[in-house]
Formats: sequence, C-alpha cells, structure tokens
Amino acid sequence: MENSKASDQKDSRFPYRKATPFHYHKLDAESPRSSNNEIGFSPGSDRRFAFSRQTLFHQSSVASGDSVTPMLSRTSSSIDIPLNKRGWSEETFLWGEEEGSDEKPSIFTHLLSGFRILRSGNRPMRRLLLLIFLNVAYSTVELCLGLLLGRVGLVSDAINLTFGCGLLTFSLFAMAASRKKPDRIYTYGYKRLEVLSAFTNALFLLFMSFSLAVEALHAFIQDESEHKHYLIVSAVTNLLVNLIGVWFFRNYARINLVYRKAEDMNYHSVCLHVLADSIRSAGLILASWLLSLGVKNAEVLCLGLVSVTVYILVMPLFRTTGGILLQMSPPSIPSSALSKSMRQVMSREDVSEVSQARLWELVPGHVIGSLSLQVKKGIDDDRPVLQYVHGLYHDLGVQDLTVQTDYA
Amino acid sequence: MAVIVSSNMEPQNSKYHGHRIEVSADMPAVEKGYGGNKVCREVACGFSDAKASSQDAKERSASMRKLWIAVVMCIIFMSVEVAGGIKANSLAILTDAAHLLSDVAAFAISLFSLWASGWEATPRQSYGFFRIEILGTLVSIQIIWLLTGILGYEAIARLISGTGEVKGLLMFVVSAFGLVVNVIMAFVLGPDHSHGRGHGHGHDHGHSGQDHGKGAHRDHDHEETGHNIHSQTVNIDIHHHDEGHSKQHMEHHHILREADLSQPLIDSSVRENTERNINVQGAYLHVIGDSIQSVGVMIGGAIIWYKPQWKFIDLICTLIFSVIVLYTTIRMLRNILEVLMESTPREIDARQLEKGLCEMEEVVAIHELHIWAITVGKVLLACHVKIKLDADADMVLDKVVDYIRREYNISHVTIQIERE
Repeated sequence: MENSKASDQKDSRFPYRKATPFHYHKLDAESPRSSNNEIGFSPGSDRRFAFSRQTLFHQSSVASGDSVTPMLSRTSSSIDIPLNKRGWSEETFLWGEEEGSDEKPSIFTHLLSGFRILRSGNRPMRRLLLLIFLNVAYSTVELCLGLLLGRVGLVSDAINLTFGCGLLTFSLFAMAASRKKPDRIYTYGYKRLEVLSAFTNALFLLFMSFSLAVEALHAFIQDESEHKHYLIVSAVTNLLVNLIGVWFFRNYARINLVYRKAEDMNYHSVCLHVLADSIRSAGLILASWLLSLGVKNAEVLCLGLVSVTVYILVMPLFRTTGGILLQMSPPSIPSSALSKSMRQVMSREDVSEVSQARLWELVPGHVIGSLSLQVKKGIDDDRPVLQYVHGLYHDLGVQDLTVQTDYA
Repeated sequence: MAVIVSSNMEPQNSKYHGHRIEVSADMPAVEKGYGGNKVCREVACGFSDAKASSQDAKERSASMRKLWIAVVMCIIFMSVEVAGGIKANSLAILTDAAHLLSDVAAFAISLFSLWASGWEATPRQSYGFFRIEILGTLVSIQIIWLLTGILGYEAIARLISGTGEVKGLLMFVVSAFGLVVNVIMAFVLGPDHSHGRGHGHGHDHGHSGQDHGKGAHRDHDHEETGHNIHSQTVNIDIHHHDEGHSKQHMEHHHILREADLSQPLIDSSVRENTERNINVQGAYLHVIGDSIQSVGVMIGGAIIWYKPQWKFIDLICTLIFSVIVLYTTIRMLRNILEVLMESTPREIDARQLEKGLCEMEEVVAIHELHIWAITVGKVLLACHVKIKLDADADMVLDKVVDYIRREYNISHVTIQIERE
C-alpha cells in the first residue's frame, strides 16, 4: 500500500535515529525545556523524528496501559505530546482555561493571544507568521501601487493575495487554537480545526484553479494580451515570496502524503498553498515570456497548464480532508483488518454477536469508534470481554472505543 | 407492552418528523421489549431506522422541491438578463447575470448535498452521508465570501478605471431587477409562514418556547414512576417538551396533538432556523446576501445618478453592504463549525444530562461523555457509565438508554457499562 511504502522509506532512511528520539522525548516529558528545542512538531530534519516517535509512542502506550481500565483516558491519547511547562502555563493564561466554564473565549482573547505566538509558538508557526507578514506587506505595497498608478491588474493581484493571506491566517489560528485541551463543549478537543483549515485551504486552491481556467477561457475568447507585461515585476516578486514559503515547508511539498498527526495536514495545505501561488506566478512569467517570443495563445496554454497542475496538486488533500470531515472510516485501517477483528471477537465463546461497528477519524492518527456486542446470557462479568475487545481494537489503532454490551 | 402511537399522525405531519407518544408500562419485561431494538441485526447497520429515514426522505423531497423551483427561476431570470445585456451591450447587466449564475451554482451544490445525504450507509461511511449537507453548505458559504470579495474588487476596479460616463441609472435599474428576483426566491426558500401553519397555539407552547430560548435547560422535576406518559417528542429540532404535568395528561396531549397539526411550534428565531434543512437555509442565506448587495448597489447607483461626481460612494456602499452580508453568514458558519468540530450541540445541556444520569441509583459515575452531531438534526452520544458492583448491568443499560432517548431525543447512544 502506498502509505506503508512511504513510511518504510522514511524509516529506513534514518534507522539510526529511532533510538535517540525516543529517549529524547522521554526526557522532555519529565523536565521542562525551552520551546526553542524541537519537541516534535517542526518540519526540517525533525519531521522524520515525528514519524518514528509516533510509532514508538504508540507501541509504548499499548504495552504499558490496559491493565485496570480497558481504555486510555481522554487526555492521554498518543498524539497529545505534552508541551513544556512554561508553554503550558502560558497557554492556560492565553486561553483562560477554567474547569467550570462553558463559554468559548471571545474573539478578542484570540486576537491578543495572536501576538504571543512569536514567543510560545513552535517553529512552523513562527515560519508561517513570517510568511503571512511578508505576504501582507507585499500585497499592501501592490495595492497602493495599483491604486496610485491606476493599474487594475495590480489591484486584482493584491486582492487575490489578500484572500490567500486571510486563509493562511486562519491556518495559523488553527495551529494555535488546536493546542487547547478538550473542554466541556468541545469534548474531543480542538484538533479538528487543523483538518478544517486544511480543507478550507484546499477549497480555496480549487477555486483558484477554477478561476484560472475561466481566465484561460476568457483569454482564449478575447485577444487581450498586453496586460500581462505590466505584471512581470509583481509576478517575479510574488514568485520569490512564495518560494521562500515553499522552502520553509519543504518537507511537505508532496502530493500524496502520509498523515500521522493532525498538524501534518495543516502544514501540507499551507505548503500546497504557497506552491500553487508560486506555480501561478511562474506561469504568468512564462506566459509573458512566450508572448514576447511571439507564441500565439501563450497565456491560454500557460494558464490552462497552471490550472490543471494546481488541480492535480490539491485533489488528494481535498479528498483526504473531506473524508475525515465526512466521518468516513479511517483509510489507514483496511477493511480486511476490521473484519478480521470482528471475526476474532465473535469467535470468543461468550460473545454471540457483534454489530454496529463504526469508526471515524478525529484527526489523522486518532481513531474513535463504537461497537455493540451481544453477550450470551449467564455471563455476569463482562470485564474480560471488554478488555479483550479494547486491546484488539487498540492494536488496530483505535484509541477511543466505546463498547456497549447487551445481554441477550 | 411498549406502545408507540404514531401512525395516525403521519399523513398530516408530512412536512416534519412526526411525533411519537410513547406509553410504556412499568414492567421490567417491557423495558426489555423496548430495548430490543437497541441492537440492530446486521453488522453494518444503517444509521437511521426505517421510521426516521422515511421522515427524512419526506423532508428531503420537500426541500429539494423548493430548491428546484429556485434553480429554475434563477435560470430563467439569468437568461433574460443575459439576453438583455447582450442586446444593450452593457457590462453591468452581464455582471449581474454572472452573479445569478453563481446563485445557480450554490443551489446546485445544495441540491447535490440534499440528494447525496439520502444515500444508504456503506461500510466505509458507517454513519451515512449526512455530513455531506454540512460540507456542501460550507462550500456554498465560501462561495458567498468569494463573491463578496469579487464584488468589492469590481467596485474598486470601477473606481480606478472610471470612464466617466453616467452609469448610475443603469446600475440602479439592473440591481433593482436583481433585488426583485432575489426577494421572490427568498419567499420560495424561506420559512413557510403562509401555509396554514400559523404560530403556536395555546400557552403550552408559549411557556415551552421560553424554555428553549437558546440552550435546552430542561425542567426535569420528577422522575416518573407512576405516570409513564412522557414527552411528546417532536423531532423537528432537538428540543422537546417535558410535560411533567401529572394531572391532565390526556387532555394535554390532545390539545398539543391538535395544535401540532397546524403549526411548527416556533416563536423564537433560533428554532425557526433549525427547522429547515440546512441546505435550504444556506441557499436562503445566499439569496438574502444577494438582495442586500443589490440594495447596496441600488443606493450607490441612485447616488451616482443624482450626483455623478461622487463615484467613490459606489465603493463605500459596496464595502458596507459586503460587510453586512458577511455578518449574516457568521451565524450559520458557527453552526457548521460546531458540527464539524464534533462539539456538543447547543440544544443539549451536557451537564443536565450527566446530572440526570448520576441521579439514578445504580450509577456511580459517568465519564468520557461525548455528544456530537452528525448533522444539524441528528445527535449521537457515547459514554462510559460506572455502576455499582451488584447492579444488573442490562437493566441499567436499558434505563440509561431509555432516559437519554426520552429526555434528549438522542437515538444513537452507545453506553459502556463498567463496574466499580
């Protein structure tokens, strides 16, 4: 399967690193460190840590737990790698977490806490903030120039960029907000925000590809080819800014990616966003160059090419995020494994029927499910059955399982 | 025996989920009998039982009919505008026609989501396809935002490349036409005031209407042991009435039954909003946004017509009204976000539920309570219940499931019973 192949590649390339990150992380859990150390969310060379650490963590939690209570408690799922103590207290200060309060933090607390991202954020967040600043600066300059000089093309480009910036800000906000602990209303926590932001990014990119196709059609129908020349400088600058962004998130510059954690999706979507933007600028540059060479219908070709490329880039991300949001069965757990587990449960002598097995993914890596068992009459203590079922499904990767036993 | 009296209500209440009057006698065997349909027989059971799905289908077809009417009207008006625009060679009219085209796209998305949400659940999609509604509405709201941005950009472009001709009158006329079209469609898609379903009859609905202003704080004063006629569940929105009045059960039900026939029991706008399908609501929001924009452009056009040198008024008007449109989408966006984030739905008070469950004698503690919605009307619950060592697990399970179904109308409940 493609997923396992990709992960094998990653793991086999750095087999020697497997031991060290595990101990590294164990130390982290005990002693606080400054947030400048890569605790695990940052891309760069550390991302491969994230892969191996994830699988190791998974195994360790399976080995240790499950003796008394059949399931892990809500807060110790395998993706909740705890932050350092300093960031923790700052976070509770940031978000105002009290135990008994039900109300959501207002927009203002969010805005204020946005300024603290520089201090408490991890590396991708800071990079993203830098990227957003660059984009905002560039688009304001472009907007002012366009208004002053009266060039509509510049203004439209600036507004396009502003949309993109807004989306990147939402991604940043999702990164920051998803670290909150689950509370009364959001009983599963806030990690879904990352998936949502990835979905929104993918949607925006699809819109962009669609609008590029419309523009290509427009250019095909009408023959206005001059205005591209004005935009060379802006296209080049745009390309440079976006290439910086691609460089920041270069680990996620793939089309089909294995998502191990929630943040993977978000980073992937940001990377695809800047990548698509840079492809668009490159396409514009190419189109004007071809036009200057005298190639007919150059921008139709280039725009069409860019549109198709962006579509191909974005579609897998869109599908995966859409699948998660649609409560689809986790694609990481093949249905053969699921049916095998069900058969194993049913083969136990005290179980007469298994039904209503429903699984869904909260975020990549965190699967939640519910199951209904019919236990034969006369069995009073269902604890061994429960433990067995929980252990079995935990091996499959289902962290939170709720099993309802009915006595037939 | 557990008696479910509902069949004679169906034909009249074709628009909504009917209501069930559950009369369950107080015998342990009864609980078993009712609890018998907790577990469905197949391995990958469909998400909704037959009754709910038939009501779903009815509501869905009604919503689809509305949307089809709106789409057809939109297409007719759009072709009229395109023809007129080509003939008059005016860019403004063609732009408005493109706007209507985007309306058609939004309606098409809503129609598709409505149709898709009726698909049968598959093993891959074990919860059915109900979420498609939510995603479809999200996409159409994004389209609204995109269009607002495009309109803003166009206003700026108009300002920059001001060709100086008097466009005020044309803008005014075109946007007035667009406004009329949008208002007509708003009537088609909006809440049904005029179909003989007036407002709440009787004070019973009045006081329960106040009960459910926003959240659902149920006034659950006593645990019925003697009188077992419980709530009358109206499945339109998640709330329900708790008629704990032990005296006039029969008359009470009778009055409510008659009243239910003829009106949707709403007074507050929150309930009105959750009554219609979320896709229809999204389309309605789209149309309302368009009419607000048209009003803005009309005002701008009128001002420019009156004073042609104040061209920047056009931009200001567009921007102000764009902000208003965005503001109207915020509430629906918040609902969508809450569903997508698997949060506890607003109508259900988790604390009350927990308290009510803990009040049962055998229950020691509740933990890992998760209540989430798959779409705006359908709620699921999963929790772990710790019971005393000597309690009968099956009976407790039945009681808990029954309580949740009765009081909170959550039908998809998974309870894991653990002993202390």
